[in-house]
Amino acid sequence: MKTTTAVLAMLMFAAAPAWAVLGGSVDSVRADQARLEAKLHVATLPGYTVHEISRGDGTAIKEFVSPLGTVFGVSWKGPTMPDLAPLLGTYYSEFHQEVAGRRHRGPVVVRTKDLVVESGGHLRAFHGRAYVTSLVPNTLSPAVVQ
Amino acid sequence: MKKRIGQTAKLGCASGWLVVVPVLLAMIGCGGGGGGSNGGGGGNPPPPPVNNTLDVEVNLGPANNDADELLTTVTLCLPGTSTCQTIPNVEVDTGSEGLRLLASQVSLNLPQVTLGGSTPLGECVSFADNSYVWGPLVTADIQLAGETASSVPIQLISAPNFPSVPAACNTGGTADDSIAVLGATGILGVGVFRQDCGAGCTSANAQLPKMYFSCPGSSCSVTAVTLAQQLQNPVWMFPQDNNGLLISLPSVPDAGAPTASGSMIFGVGTQSDNALGSAQVFTTDTQGNFTVTYNGKSYNTSYIDSGSNGIFFLDSAALGINTCSGNNTSFYCPSATTNFTAMNKGVNGTSGSVSFSIANANTLFGTPNSAFNDIGGPNSGSFDWGLAFFFGRNVFVGVEGQSTPAGVGPYWAY
Repeated sequence: MKTTTAVLAMLMFAAAPAWAVLGGSVDSVRADQARLEAKLHVATLPGYTVHEISRGDGTAIKEFVSPLGTVFGVSWKGPTMPDLAPLLGTYYSEFHQEVAGRRHRGPVVVRTKDLVVESGGHLRAFHGRAYVTSLVPNTLSPAVVQ
Repeated sequence: MKKRIGQTAKLGCASGWLVVVPVLLAMIGCGGGGGGSNGGGGGNPPPPPVNNTLDVEVNLGPANNDADELLTTVTLCLPGTSTCQTIPNVEVDTGSEGLRLLASQVSLNLPQVTLGGSTPLGECVSFADNSYVWGPLVTADIQLAGETASSVPIQLISAPNFPSVPAACNTGGTADDSIAVLGATGILGVGVFRQDCGAGCTSANAQLPKMYFSCPGSSCSVTAVTLAQQLQNPVWMFPQDNNGLLISLPSVPDAGAPTASGSMIFGVGTQSDNALGSAQVFTTDTQGNFTVTYNGKSYNTSYIDSGSNGIFFLDSAALGINTCSGNNTSFYCPSATTNFTAMNKGVNGTSGSVSFSIANANTLFGTPNSAFNDIGGPNSGSFDWGLAFFFGRNVFVGVEGQSTPAGVGPYWAY
């Protein structure tokens, strides 16, 4: 495994533009890193790369990038929920519509034709993941998104 | 052993106080040295027992459409005064800490919590279902049964005349800003921690979670707060019975029950009504999680959460059962009730198996019942033992840093 670490520390951005991350290009990972004022660690694995964005508060967001440079999955864990709108990008509205009408309190799993979102946990310990089935490289299982 | 709890009786004591105590305690008598006491401190006689039992009930809730929602009544007072207000239909949540109330339900003019004496403090918490609560912190005395937590920061959800939710917290989720959306008038967080955030939100942490916000004008920015400025689990603020609590709910039939009445009893091993007895103690990690093993696989971010209205675990593909249709896709709808066994394991190594059933939630929700021991749904990578787990059990919460007969919290015991 080849590992490179890029540290773009503590960039302060006043506002969060509408980044497209899930389904977006690898460039959007950098945008997310800046938005989260976080450190970036890139790991190259067979058939994909993982861009891990970590904050000092314990939040870790991983963005899974195909050889074509497309973010096919994201995962998160941390003491607070990440803001899912910028993380899910153009897929957010589909997720939001699915969840908003539900009658329950607790973890959420959304499965549509092409989108899977799993979100769970409680205060101090949230975790989840999302991927777009059609964007997962043929050589991979969605299980790599963890 | 079956014992009846939750009933209360009034009686006078030799001291002349009129107090309300549980029946079992009443049989011992006022000031009885039942199960030992805590909070007394060196040499002082233990304080006289107070009523430590708060009624709780599972019912359809104030929105009249809920399931497995545990509700209670909270009394709020202006700090240090007898100007008080009673607020019913507050959800009891062992998955969070602190009292959060819809601002629309609070008529008292409670003092704002400020930083540096003038800058209002706000809080934003997003939940796993992408809903969030946002609003200012104010100070109140919280009365639960005979227990009082004095001058405690609480959150007012969606208060008018307060800045709008910061983009740093949540830009697209659903605001839990009404009874219709929240399904309750507020949330009473009585989880395993003293504060909702803890050291992570203090200045000791170089990079803060986006949770507490300083609001000097019309906009707010992330700020560090002290532990004392955070939302507090009110239990550890009590003068006594402050090391934890016990939630006791009766068994319900597999078809459910229209309502289920039980008790939230404060203290662990502090009075005759809250002894651990044969309960097994499962300590948690620093995030409030323990491990559940199912079918040979371990899930180490699992937890017990009265605020979840089902047992949430695994997924349809792994279990071979479908989720429900319509608005109930967060629940399983098996064609026949299915039995499962999982193993809970605490950080302390204590383990014990749990047998449970999952029934067709759409069928159950089609009845007038609201209390179910067998509803559940999918979850990613962990077990969430929601309220369905609580029926027929005494579930203890040991609060972090608080001493109990079974050791120091954080822990679960049942």
